Amino acid sequence: MLNLLKCNVCFTFGKVNITLVMKKSYLLPHRFKKIGWILLILGLILGVAMRFFGLDSDYFGKISFFGMISEKSFISSEKHFFDIVENGFLDELVSLLVITGGVLVGFCKTKVEDEFILQMRLTSLVWSVYVNYGILFLAVLFVFDMPFFDVMVLNMFTVLLFFIIRFHVMLHRANRM
Amino acid sequence: MKNTIKVQRAIKDITQAQLATIIGVSRQTISAIEKNKYVPSTVLALKLARYFEVQVEVVFELTEED
Repeated sequence: MLNLLKCNVCFTFGKVNITLVMKKSYLLPHRFKKIGWILLILGLILGVAMRFFGLDSDYFGKISFFGMISEKSFISSEKHFFDIVENGFLDELVSLLVITGGVLVGFCKTKVEDEFILQMRLTSLVWSVYVNYGILFLAVLFVFDMPFFDVMVLNMFTVLLFFIIRFHVMLHRANRM
Repeated sequence: MKNTIKVQRAIKDITQAQLATIIGVSRQTISAIEKNKYVPSTVLALKLARYFEVQVEVVFELTEED
């Protein structure tokens, strides 16, 4: 019990340094945030173009990947292991851009990351997980077949995107106080 | 919990931003504390009191709801 309590206090306030930032906040340095925005926005533009405007995944050509698991075709569900896979790389690129950009934007420290901002970060994260899984819950009940596959694809990124939006809205509101 | 940061700031004649820089937090945090939207940690409360050169109870006071 004592240990648990200690850990809890540790996590909330940490070893407080001059800016009152928890030593172990797992956040990234502020300087990566700008590059995060660039990657995220690029990824979102390409992603929206692919999903909603029919930009094909091999629009920029195919390249060879080392596939740990792959299927030669949709029809035969035969699995291939540790095989070279020819694949249009745009969808991979979009996923990696959105994931990397999103994590950088969401988890780089703000200029002055203090306890109040950490609290806003936490509440935004909780909020976004609730909203994300709330939507998924409804989708499980009401969406079927290929549309559900689309939901799953979007759901890979929405928890991160909801968090980024919510957190920045809260920051903006706090800024105007 | 209510607080007298605004008054203390007036006595010292400094802005929220200046106080934030001195204490080492963001301006939003000072503003949120003043508006009773955020209850600071003990460390931050003590730092504020130390800067204003008063006891922490002069800056922060419990209310009925607490």
